[in-house]
Formats: sequence, structure tokens, C-alpha cells
Amino acid sequence: MKSPAKTEESFYAGQTRILEMVASDAPLPEILKSSVLLMEKQAEGLVCSILVLSADGIHVQHGAAPSLPEAYVKAVNGAPIGPRNGSCGTAMFLRKPIVVTDVLTDPLWTDYRDLAKICGLRACWSTPILSAQNEVLGSFAMYRQERRGPNAEELSLTQVATHITGIAIGRQRIQQTLHEREARINLAAESADLAFWVIYPSRNAAWMNDKGRAIYGFDANLPLNGNLILSRVHPDERAAVRENFDRACASHGTFESEHRLVLPYGKTRWVIVRGRCLVDEHGNLVELIGVTIDVSAQKQSELQLKNQREQLAHLNRVALMGEMTASIAHELNQPLTAIANNAAAARRFLERGNIDPVLLQQLLQDMIADSQRAGEVIRGIRAMVRKDKSPRSILNLNAIIADTLRLVGSDVVLRESVITTEMDHSLPQVEAVPVQIQQVLINLIMNALDAVEKLPPSERRIVVRTRTDEDGLAEVSVRDFGYGLPKNRPEKVFDHFFSTKQAGMGMGLTIVRSIIETHGGTISAENAPDRGARFFFRLPAARKDQQSQAA
Amino acid sequence: MSNAVESNEVCLVDDDRSVLRSMEYLLASDGLKVRAFNKPEEFLVHAATHPVSVVVTDIWMEGVTGLEILARMCALSPRPRVIVITAREDLAARATAMAIGPVAFFMKPFNDEKFLTAVRDALGQARDQG
Repeated sequence: MKSPAKTEESFYAGQTRILEMVASDAPLPEILKSSVLLMEKQAEGLVCSILVLSADGIHVQHGAAPSLPEAYVKAVNGAPIGPRNGSCGTAMFLRKPIVVTDVLTDPLWTDYRDLAKICGLRACWSTPILSAQNEVLGSFAMYRQERRGPNAEELSLTQVATHITGIAIGRQRIQQTLHEREARINLAAESADLAFWVIYPSRNAAWMNDKGRAIYGFDANLPLNGNLILSRVHPDERAAVRENFDRACASHGTFESEHRLVLPYGKTRWVIVRGRCLVDEHGNLVELIGVTIDVSAQKQSELQLKNQREQLAHLNRVALMGEMTASIAHELNQPLTAIANNAAAARRFLERGNIDPVLLQQLLQDMIADSQRAGEVIRGIRAMVRKDKSPRSILNLNAIIADTLRLVGSDVVLRESVITTEMDHSLPQVEAVPVQIQQVLINLIMNALDAVEKLPPSERRIVVRTRTDEDGLAEVSVRDFGYGLPKNRPEKVFDHFFSTKQAGMGMGLTIVRSIIETHGGTISAENAPDRGARFFFRLPAARKDQQSQAA
Repeated sequence: MSNAVESNEVCLVDDDRSVLRSMEYLLASDGLKVRAFNKPEEFLVHAATHPVSVVVTDIWMEGVTGLEILARMCALSPRPRVIVITAREDLAARATAMAIGPVAFFMKPFNDEKFLTAVRDALGQARDQG
């Protein structure tokens, strides 16, 4: 005979063992069976069973009944619950303990009486198993072969049993729900071509669905973590993405980012990532969950669109700025054509051996004249500018700059550059042809955009500044942060046909200088002390009486 | 076969006098007979009253454009061969030139050998057709 203390101890040990099974996610039938056996061990002649309420909420399912006859178990499995459905079906239906002292006479047992009789069962006390949210999960029943109600010890055993099995079934339900939810999300993610991922910062671990591993280029079995996922981000964007991510973690907020991934073997993808933090009831960050969408295809067409827009912007610029260069090219090509033709004709006449000295004289004379004409075209750029009959007006250069920046706005955005202005609001007004000043500004700004083109986007800065110089002239400067002008002679950029650009004709700045000089101003170029080039032109202030008229 | 002198004659139209003269010399140095027009209007008058087999014309002239010249040429029978020369480098000019369907197209300044070959080919075609 065991001592009561010893029995007590092994009962607690048994409870602990069952809770450990729950914690280690042991299969539910095993947990329930162990619970029943533990309870049965506590009292002589006690037979117990557990029924689980099925997902539909109106039928019972076999849980555990290791000591009941198999026929009885089979008969009960799948039975409906209701107000007169034995002890268990009624307990679950009414959500309260049902004590049937004699199944042979109790009206609740009408349907099961014969079965009970065959199995030798006489009394059955059933208690509903409730979840923490008070939902019915199942029932715990005690059977006796004699006609009686439960004693105090049996009531307390019942309390322990329903408590433990409530935890076990409840946990299993939650996990089932989670699995189902995950499966649904996964299904949705897979069908939407989404990568779905969870990062657990405290455990330095992460999970990703198959699509995610495909997008990020991870093998199916590679253990993941946040840093590993981040390591796939393009080096240029990694710091920014990490900052974004850390900020979301710190604030328990959401994050969204569009960036490139670089996969092993160098393949690049464009992705959009959206995620949010999940926090437990104590306010601790538990995990970050999110989705990643591969937008490479869209990005490709976006880039094509951007290219088209760039070409369009270029054509617009040509229309605005290129008019003059095109006409200069035309003007130059005419005498060059004549020279080439005359030279070719002379050679042919000589080859035929019937050259008339007078004709040869004439050809040479024409060639000299056309050469001079070509020279005049170059020299005549200033004259061409002057020939522009557009009327001069009294201008506020700050306003012209603002207009020009609007004109080149799309170029600036497309080239991922930033132009800032520092305006002198007491800048004197000038007398000038607005379109020509705009041409100067467009030319200088386009040059500056070209100069910063090779820099990373964050460094593509241009500053347009106005100020009144010491002599009261209006000064406009365009400063870039590029690689600067040739060190030895920055001023050389204004020479005809001098170009550091591959596609440049070397005419732009020549025209610019002609325009400024025609307006009685000066233009210079220098390298800024730290980096980049600075072009600045000065125009004389309009006469005071004109200024007041304009104002 | 029609009149040999006529079919061998090339009409030149360019409003730039020195270019016009240099092309006259160039064609003459190859033994070709040339009729030069400094004003496109004058050429149109000539074309209305004389058969023209080949015309070399700039398309960017004051007043009448090369496009108009071709439009008029299309109305003539037999239709003259047109060779376009232009000093304009922009795409719009090129597209315009192509639209009028020339037998050859040259950017000024051009290679004399290729130009003369194109002219002789055009004359040959006109003869075959004539």
C-alpha cells in the first residue's frame, strides 16, 4: 500500500510530465491518453474518457478512453451533442457539469442505456473542458460500475483533468489555426508571386516561403537570418535599406522600400518590400513579417518609358537650344561643301589633262573665298546673336532662373539630380533678351547636369546662385560638384570646338559667351576650391529710370 | 532613244551661289552637261517647258522647298530622278528628304566619287526608261 504522500508526489510528477508533453507539442491523442491514465491511477475502479468537440461544434470526437470497451468508444465517436445526449453530449451542450448517478434510469441516457448496460457502466459524471476564452473544447468524464455521485477527491481530480486537457486541446487548436492561416497566406503569396517572410530578431533567425527563396536566391535548406537577407540588397542601397529596417524595428512600425537585389552570379532584380513589426503584450518585438514583390519586369518597362521620356526631353532641348547650333552647322557646311566640290573638280580636270588655267584660277579663287566665308561663320556667331531681332526687356534674373528651372525640371528629375538656388532678392534688374538669357542658363545647367552624371545620385548637386557683385553688376553662377574643368586652362572651355564631352560639338559655350558679351556682360569659368566647376556671368544693371519703369 | 544631249543634262538647284557653282564645276569635270538654277522658281519654270531627266536639289531653301520641287516633279512625265543634298543635320530634315523619295540622298559636304556615281546612275536609269 502506497503512502498518501507518495501518491500525491507521483500525481504532481504525472501532471508535470503531461504539461511537458504539451509544451513540446507531443501529439494530442497521446497527451489525452496520458491524462486519462494518470487520473485513473488516482482512484480504485475509476474509468475516465475524454471527448473532443469537433470543428463543426455540434459533434463529438473520440479523444482518449484507454479503459473503455472499444465498441463503446466507437458508438460514441461522432455522436451529436444536445440537451439529452448522455452525460458528455449534454455537458458540452449545456456548458456545465452533468452528474448521472444511474445511467440505467436517467432520461439523458435513453439513447445509450443498452450500450452502457452491456459495458457494465452505471454512473457517469461529465464536465465540459473550456478554453481560456471559455469556449467548449470537449468533455472529461468519469465512469463507475456502481450507482453513485462523485466524492470530493473525484471532483478535485476532475478539476485538474479539465484544466490540463483544456491547455492541451486549446494549444493544439491555436496551432492548427496558425497552420491553416500560414497555409492560406502561403497559398495567397504563391499565387500572387509574392515572397512571404518572417524575421525573428531575438533568435537571429528568419523564415521565407519557396517563392521568397527563389527571389532572393537562397537554397531551400539554407538557414536564414535578417543579415543574410539584407546581404542580397544591392551595395549602393544596402545602407539605406538597413536604416529603414532598423527604424521600423525601433519604432515597432512598418517599412516599405523599393530597391535592387544582387543574386549570386550577379543577376539583379528590382523588388518592392513591405513589412511590419509584431509586438507581444509586453511591448517586445517578436517578429517582423513582410512580403517582397519582384517588380523587375515592371521596372524594365518603366526604364524604357524613362528612356523615351529622356529622348523626348532631349528633342525638346534640341528644339530650344539646338536651333542656333543647327543653323551654325548649316552655315558652315555650305562653304565646306563648295570647297570640297571645287577641289574635287580641279583634281578631275587635272586628271583629264585638259585643264584651262583660267578655270583652275577660278576654282582656287572660289576655294579661298569659301574658306574665308567659313571663318566668317565662326566669327559671325556674335553677329548672329545680334541679328536676333527679339526685343530686349527689363528682366529680373531671379524670375528667369525660376522659369528656366521649370523648363529643365524633367531633365533634372530624370537624371536624378538636385538643383538648389540661392537667390539675392535685391539683385538689380538687367536689360536683356529673355530667350537668349534662358538659352545661356539652359546651356550652363545642361553642362552641369552632364558634369555630375557619373556621380552617385546623392552627390548630383547643382547650385544656381545670384548676387550683386562689388561693382553693382548682377551675377549668376551655376556650380556643379563634378570633376571640374581642365586644370591648366579653365577658360579654354569657351573656345570654338573645344569639348570635353564625347557627343559635344564644342559650340554651346561659344554661343553662351557671344550672348553674354552682346549684352555687355562677361562670363568666366573656374574650378571651385573643393570640387566641381563654377560658371558665372555678370550683366550690367539696367539704367535706374528703366528699372523703376519696370517696377 | 530620246535626244542624247537632253538625257545627259543634269539640273542643279541650290540657293547658295558658291555651292551651286562648285557643283557645276564638279559635274563638268566629269564631262556632264549641267543647267544650274540659283532660284528654285526658275527651275520650276524650266521644268514645265523642258524635259528633265535628273535634278539635284537642296531641300532647305528660301521660298520653294525641295519637297515642293519633288511634288511638281511627280506631276511630270516622264518623272525626273531626284537627288537630294542638304547641309541640315537634324533628323526632321532627313525625314522630310526621305519622304519625297529621292533616288539618292547626300549630306553636305559629300564624297565627290559617290555623288558623281549617283548622278550617272540616275542618268542611266532615265535613259533606260526613256
